[in-house]
Amino acid sequence: MEKLTLMFFKKECMGCHACEVACKQEHELGIGPRLVRVVENAPDFFPIHCHHCANAPCKVSCPVEAISRNERGIVLIDKGLCIGCKACLEACPFGAMQYDNATETAVKCDLCIERLNHNEAPACSNACPTRCIFWGVAAKLNEKLEKPVLSG
Amino acid sequence: MGAVKKIRTVCRSCHGGCGVIAHVRDNKVIKVEGDPASPISQGTMCSKGLAITQLAYHPDRIRHPMKKTEKGWERISWDDALDTVVAKFKSVMDASGPESIVIGQGTGRDYESHLYRFANLLGTPNVLTAGHMCYVSRVGATLITCGNLPVADWHGHPRCIVMWGCNPQWTNPDEHKGVDFWSAYKKGAKLIVIDPRKGFLAKKADLWLQIRPGTDGALAMGFMNVIIEEDLYDKDFVNHYVHGWDAFVERAKEYPLEAVESITWIPKDLIRRAARMYAKTKPAILQWGVPTEQTINCTDCTRALVGLMAATGNLDAPGGNVFFVPPKVRSVSAFSRHKDLAPEQRKKQLGGDQYKLAARVALISPKAAWDAILTGKPYPLKAGLLCGTNPVVTRANAREAYAALKKLEFLAVMDFFMTPTADLADIFLPAGTWLEQNHIADNWKRHGYALAREKAVDIGECWQDHKIFMELGKRMGQEWFSTVETALDYLLEPSGLTWEEFKKVGYLKGEMAYHKYRQKGFSTPTGKVELLSTALEKWGHDPLPKYTEVPESPVSTPDLLDEFPYILNAGLRTPTFFHSANRMIPWLREIRPDPIVEIHPETAKKHGIAAGQWVTIASPRGRVKQRAKLNFGIDPRVVVAEHGWWFPEMKEEGHGWDISNINILTDNAPETLDPVMAATNLRVCLCNISPCEDQEEMNGWRN
Ligand code: SF4
Ligand code: SF4
Ligand code: SF4
Repeated sequence: MEKLTLMFFKKECMGCHACEVACKQEHELGIGPRLVRVVENAPDFFPIHCHHCANAPCKVSCPVEAISRNERGIVLIDKGLCIGCKACLEACPFGAMQYDNATETAVKCDLCIERLNHNEAPACSNACPTRCIFWGVAAKLNEKLEKPVLSG
Repeated sequence: MGAVKKIRTVCRSCHGGCGVIAHVRDNKVIKVEGDPASPISQGTMCSKGLAITQLAYHPDRIRHPMKKTEKGWERISWDDALDTVVAKFKSVMDASGPESIVIGQGTGRDYESHLYRFANLLGTPNVLTAGHMCYVSRVGATLITCGNLPVADWHGHPRCIVMWGCNPQWTNPDEHKGVDFWSAYKKGAKLIVIDPRKGFLAKKADLWLQIRPGTDGALAMGFMNVIIEEDLYDKDFVNHYVHGWDAFVERAKEYPLEAVESITWIPKDLIRRAARMYAKTKPAILQWGVPTEQTINCTDCTRALVGLMAATGNLDAPGGNVFFVPPKVRSVSAFSRHKDLAPEQRKKQLGGDQYKLAARVALISPKAAWDAILTGKPYPLKAGLLCGTNPVVTRANAREAYAALKKLEFLAVMDFFMTPTADLADIFLPAGTWLEQNHIADNWKRHGYALAREKAVDIGECWQDHKIFMELGKRMGQEWFSTVETALDYLLEPSGLTWEEFKKVGYLKGEMAYHKYRQKGFSTPTGKVELLSTALEKWGHDPLPKYTEVPESPVSTPDLLDEFPYILNAGLRTPTFFHSANRMIPWLREIRPDPIVEIHPETAKKHGIAAGQWVTIASPRGRVKQRAKLNFGIDPRVVVAEHGWWFPEMKEEGHGWDISNINILTDNAPETLDPVMAATNLRVCLCNISPCEDQEEMNGWRN
């Protein structure tokens, strides 16, 4: 099966934070964990997000094998198994792995797998006013990023 | 758990307009999403709108009417609340006339039709809005210049975009949203950005003009100077459709680029290149924002900008600035019954004699209201009803606003939360959010749309603002409608639709025609674009646009520079907040926990200010504290501070309204106001900065 991923065309991120709030709403998260987070260093913005890495460092670091990568390439965390040791937070090179005090587990981007199952785009990508959040088959996204186009 | 019902509606977390699908389960909104079919937002949403559930279901939200007693706030019934307001208003009217009641709102929130109807039928000419320095001032100035507000025609394939003091992607742009700008830009349009601060758009721009805050009017005249000198104007248009062109040409000559460079700090070659690019690349849009209005130059600057559109042939031309045709629904102004305000009452409007343009668009300046309350001159205001507004945070010279509202004999407010302004009230009327209302949204804007905002839920005892005005009005003996929806039927009547039918249609769009002036002329006394204004002439003002130096600046008040060496650009907009709103929303406050003042790193170094430190910002009127962010993208002589801050998490009265509120620093003295619109100089004054002594206390006080 072709592997999916999430990509941000950083040059077109204008720092509006709509993706962050859309993600929180979709995943019913409170203050604390930010599965996508946009950092400002005016006039540039840097979206920090999960890359759904092959051979994911977070997965490798997890002592209880709570993290897996499914057949579509989506790196998922099983909250039932997670012991909250935060090894994955340190291992992720992007700072994408988050910790949720409410559940005392690590929490991460699941590429909005529920939405994908219903043929809906990830919540962040749906909201983005500059349409700079792409998701889909990793290989094809690379092409798109070279020449980003507006959908519609 | 019940099934999820999806309701199509329209956001109003800013001025609103974005299409939304609200997901409702068991009479609760569990999620909102952008509506891909929306002509305004095309499925996108911003952080403010997306956070609506955290606002609507916030634990601090006031969900029933309240009355202030000696023991503090107490819950009362709607009957009790409305009767109290009506009894007070009637006694004030009997004793001092309806003009002693002030009715006010903040930024446009789709209820002006009902608010004005209530005021007009009450008989008070004293309506206080944000319009004197935001949007309505633009409407007023364009009304007397070209008959209507020329709005950016993003879908008309502009080849050049001038973004003038405006960031439609971060903040509310009125009319069309940032997404339309973005798609026009992405099709390859040239971009000129005029902004004191290097933001996202400045970075993208072909030309970025880093302007000295408040000098936009001079720059506009500088553009005009180039366009005339280099013969880049549309001769056919100016010959046939401009009133006073020759006089205007003479005026523009007073703005040679050397002079404009020294006023605006923009290198003259850059001004020349930008003016050429705008004039030669057709069609071109000029999108301007509130910073041009919140100065003494409000009316003149807007008129000069219209001059640019006219001279370049971009007025009412596809892909330029156009007059959209409204859909066939009753206008806000007809519903408002402006004609029913008796002439003798109209004459009593505070400041109406002086601020003729403000009077023309039916509003008063806050300064006139505060003066009337505090000094009793020309007559005292005794009672007030404020709807969705927080003037002690958002109006210039906040301490005066606070003192005035505190002194008011009786104040009722309509809001969602106990704000610093609501703290001063006697009655609190709990308003519904946009999830809790049926309304025809956006029909006060000038983009040609009317949108169906359908109620998704009811929350507590909250009523939509329209219903509150209506029920108050009925108790005052005014002519209203039986229900909110019958009023909507009346508004929709010309379209042949009922509210029930309109809800299903979703929106109406007026049928667009361009170049309408070729048949009908412009809606001005001369039928032309009045660069020489007959209205201003009649009112005894300079009929030609000019630049007036900012009242408090290195040029006007050099003697202040020792103590206050920096220009304060007050009012940086952020994407998560709208003016004083949203500070209590966890998702948004997490993103921007503190009020931010941006300082150039060199300037910060001079004062020993490190990134992230709390800074005291002082002006001749007071001092406040904000947290420092260092930014190479601003001029070292300029300091940029956020506006609208108060702290809902501080529960005591006032909610920390005077800690970070930048309007404690701004001025509203009569000589600083726009002479016809009374626009307040809310943006620019002089300031100084220093590190706060109580860093630790400031870091700790929120916890
Ligand atoms: S929604 Fe898009 S533009 Fe806005 S912050 Fe996220 S990635 Fe950037
Ligand atoms: S959480 Fe970090 S390490 Fe794990 S897949 Fe995502 S980006 Fe890679
Ligand atoms: S794909 Fe879904 S989970 Fe991942 S950042 Fe976007 S909204 Fe959040």
